[in-house]
Amino acid sequence: MLDSLLSILITGAMISALYALIAIGFTMIFGVGGVLNLAHGALIMAGAYVFVILNRDVIWESVALPRLLVFPLAVGAIGLASYGLYAGLVRYIEDDPVITFLATVVVATMTTEIALGIFGDQPYAYTVVRGQASIAGTSVSYNDLAGFALSWIAIGLLWYYITQTDGGRSILAASMSERGAQLTGVDLHSVRTRTWLIAGGLAGLAGIFLGGDQAATPLMWLNPLALAFIIVVIGGIGSIKGSIVAAYLIGYTETLTVSMLGQSFRGILSLVILLVVLFLLPQGLYGREYVHE
Amino acid sequence: MDNDDNNTLRSDRTGKISVGRRRFIGAAGVGAVATTVAGCIGGGGDEGFTVGHLAPLENTQGIGSERSAELAAEEINEEGGIRDEDVEIVSANTRSDPSTAQDEASRLINQENVDLLVGTFSSEVSLNIMDMIAENNVPYIVTGSASPAIIENSTGSDYEANKNIFRSGPINSYFQAEAMGGYADYLSDRHGWNTFAYLADDAAWTDPFTNNLPGELESRGYDVVYESELSTGIDDFSTVMNDLESEDPDAVFRFFAHIIATDMLASWHQRQAEFGIEGIHVASMTPDFYELSQETATFETTSQSGAAGTTDITDKTLDFVDAYQSFTEGDDDAPDLPMYMGFNTYDAVYLYREAVEEAGTADYESDLDGIVDAMLGLEYTGTAGEISFYGEGDDYPHDVQEERGENDEITNFPITQWRPGGDLECVYPEQYRTADHVQPEWMG
Amino acid sequence: MSERVRRIGRLRSTVRQTILLPSGRAAARVLSPIDRALRPGANLFNRFLGSYVGEVTGLQLGLLVAALVALATVPMWAPLFVGNYMRTLAVACIWAVFAMGWDIQSGYTGYISFGHSALSATAGYTTALLAVNLSPVPSFWVTIPVSILAALVLGLLIGLPSLRLSGPYFSLVTFVAVLLFYRLTIGFSETLGGENGFQAVEVFTWDFTERYYLMLVPMLLVAAALTVVARSNVGTVLVAIRENERAVSAAGLDPTKFKLWSFALSSITMGIGGVLLAHFGGNVDPATFVVVDRSIEMIAMAVIGGMSSVLGPIGGAFLFVLLRDEILRLWFGHSTRWVMLWLLVLLVLVFARNGLFRWIWHAVGAVGGDRE
Repeated sequence: MLDSLLSILITGAMISALYALIAIGFTMIFGVGGVLNLAHGALIMAGAYVFVILNRDVIWESVALPRLLVFPLAVGAIGLASYGLYAGLVRYIEDDPVITFLATVVVATMTTEIALGIFGDQPYAYTVVRGQASIAGTSVSYNDLAGFALSWIAIGLLWYYITQTDGGRSILAASMSERGAQLTGVDLHSVRTRTWLIAGGLAGLAGIFLGGDQAATPLMWLNPLALAFIIVVIGGIGSIKGSIVAAYLIGYTETLTVSMLGQSFRGILSLVILLVVLFLLPQGLYGREYVHE
Repeated sequence: MDNDDNNTLRSDRTGKISVGRRRFIGAAGVGAVATTVAGCIGGGGDEGFTVGHLAPLENTQGIGSERSAELAAEEINEEGGIRDEDVEIVSANTRSDPSTAQDEASRLINQENVDLLVGTFSSEVSLNIMDMIAENNVPYIVTGSASPAIIENSTGSDYEANKNIFRSGPINSYFQAEAMGGYADYLSDRHGWNTFAYLADDAAWTDPFTNNLPGELESRGYDVVYESELSTGIDDFSTVMNDLESEDPDAVFRFFAHIIATDMLASWHQRQAEFGIEGIHVASMTPDFYELSQETATFETTSQSGAAGTTDITDKTLDFVDAYQSFTEGDDDAPDLPMYMGFNTYDAVYLYREAVEEAGTADYESDLDGIVDAMLGLEYTGTAGEISFYGEGDDYPHDVQEERGENDEITNFPITQWRPGGDLECVYPEQYRTADHVQPEWMG
Repeated sequence: MSERVRRIGRLRSTVRQTILLPSGRAAARVLSPIDRALRPGANLFNRFLGSYVGEVTGLQLGLLVAALVALATVPMWAPLFVGNYMRTLAVACIWAVFAMGWDIQSGYTGYISFGHSALSATAGYTTALLAVNLSPVPSFWVTIPVSILAALVLGLLIGLPSLRLSGPYFSLVTFVAVLLFYRLTIGFSETLGGENGFQAVEVFTWDFTERYYLMLVPMLLVAAALTVVARSNVGTVLVAIRENERAVSAAGLDPTKFKLWSFALSSITMGIGGVLLAHFGGNVDPATFVVVDRSIEMIAMAVIGGMSSVLGPIGGAFLFVLLRDEILRLWFGHSTRWVMLWLLVLLVLVFARNGLFRWIWHAVGAVGGDRE
């Protein structure tokens, strides 16, 4: 009993860290622009595929770069892709939430089709960090450990950035009140650019480790995104702190569900928690009220 | 009825919407005629022999099957075609979704006027399009799905209405489950493995395994310590692996067609879990699966029709694999081997040719009975084995018959194993064996 | 509003000034005699039906009649084209029902649902469960009303508590509802069939002509019924709720009552569509009914056609399905076809967000000169 509890504690911590990364990006974008960006999922998947393409010679025979080089390249590429999505599409339609939501869903669906067209539906396995450690009797792969560590490093850096630097503080200000931020001279365009870049980078990072754990597949993003979605709402839309707390809440709920009820019940409990939270605390744990213009 | 008009349509396929002027005026003038044309479309034309191929083309099984059908058509055309008509393959992508499959199948029947349908990978897809195909009487040879229900729900329940439906391979999963029992005997003899675990896709084709295999194993004196059906959407095997490790079987029989278990294999190698992984894993039949899985497929086995060309099951097997490889030379999408569905599809096209030449007609609309009789009379040597069909009174009418060896064990069910370095060996049954089964290097 | 948005706005208005307006005027010159010729018919229509379904100009009436005639005579002209139009158009009819069902709630009241496929799936699964679990299988006359009722019950179950939510939170709850439905089909695969669903529902018929009419007639009836509702006072109140809910209460009307009306209407419509879809192909599985993609598709149809109108969603559904199953198929294979389809939808979302068919309808109406 104690063993399995410990093992749940450890596995849960590993996976929650990745959920937190996805959720933070998702919530930041909602915070500064009011955009529910479903294409965030496509970026997770793209992260994994970009890693495979650059690292393994199964797709383009000549390219097989070392992992240490591929890693930052992939994260950067996804950050840029995220910005591209904003600059090329979202900024023209963000005044209408329905159209924006639909458009980002359409982008996500399109990207999945493209991945299916290029790679087919077989999974591409790859290694980010090879090996296996044993922590208190539970075997944990180095991939998960590295994902866990890097997630917290990224969260720490982000925390430092948005609380200690001017550039970051303007993001925070914009997510609290757009009009207020504008009045105090914040350049909203540059805030949004940076937000989308950061959110994309975090999604890419999460995607690489998620794929390293399982494998890159065209639909690998669906479950993590659905969970991130739940996490964001429970934590309060727009709140980074809320996302981290809720990520662990949901991460552990998921791990518990799977080990107690079985694989098929994944997500069900989390969705029920979400419904309860929505009806009791419509603004989530740390959220602010949604102001409709 | 009005077959000439249908042909105007068909030969015009490249012109898409353009339609012969005479026909347009005729039809526009007499609307009622057009209605009847629509009602009766579906007849085999008298010009060219069209084979409709149904499979998911995102999937390497589907592509391998499609290329094998193309190859069969090319070879047959060089030999003069089917009843002196050129064979043409029209390929449709079913994805893995019954609704899309239904759309594509009705398109092949109505728009392409196919003379024969072959293919379908997932059993759910096959089950869902059967009724419509039975209604249209087009001969349909299943080459990819193993569920016995495909036969039970069609020829098995209403023979007259469904007699255009056949399966040329693989043997249905009821027989597969029995064959697995024989394989367990071999594993027990060779390694002393006597306790087994059972895992399967939660899908139609695995029902016979779930219902029969644990009992089959127990009746042969083995212990079954763990049984579970997994959701086809599974993406995390850690719980399953933990359970398996604590139950400690000697080998796991797992039957995955929908599930792609790369994750499970990686964790098997990482943990050096003390059991063999045996059974069926459709994804593992992909020739580059060894590479895709980052070599973690090493030591796993899977049964597959044709044994991936590792051995000459009949004298046609290796010739076909060679022909396939030169046919797909430079084709990046195609897998390097035809894969199980490719063997079965290739055989299906050839055996149907033999049947219609025997019957003296390919016109299923006027003489389906003649074609069916000829099919049932076949004893065809294919690339994956000797093919003959069960007849009307049998348990599985129109299903491919299993082959049996000296001790009554089922033999047209070869099992291959990935070896370190990426080679495939056929380990079972004995007469096709290229090497003995080896246990994972960390065991024993 | 950012600089770039303004620039695209300018581009749009330039295009309108230099291309659309002149060519529109030219078209109007050609069309106005037709409009005049049809006007007596339109007057007659307006006198008898105008108060129920809204007034039309001559040309609009012509367009409507032409579309109806085209739909009614599909079996006559479909064989002239290479393609599988008998099936495609039948599918389009089903999806038109879904798009209208979504629109009567979300388009009219502004309560955007991202999970409408949960409602049609309820009807479909009810039909399938009745077929699987009862023996002998009850007749259509039992299963169909029961299934529609099930959709209505679920619609109200989701709708009632969600009424106190607004904006994106309402959308979230509906989105969650459909995700939960999907999860449940997997979690309780013993009862709900899992990923592979059921292949047990009896299809109405495999005769393509008969089947087409079995889909077309309910679709037209639903369209007529919804048009009457939309043009009545209820429709006006629903639109007012979208524009300003507080003003509606201030006027002494109870917005909750009207919202419930629209949810109920929508659920019934979704139920009808779900039953049609179940008996169309005989398979009830998550990919056909439940997955979020199905919800997204019906929204996309309603939006590209034009929200808060009845003709818009119908037109959108036919356009979407025809593009997907027939037109794009001529040039693109497999995955590319879907990519192109979504690209086109994206273009409509960005450049014509009020919808294509609403625009056409008004442009045609403007030819007569007595309307905007």
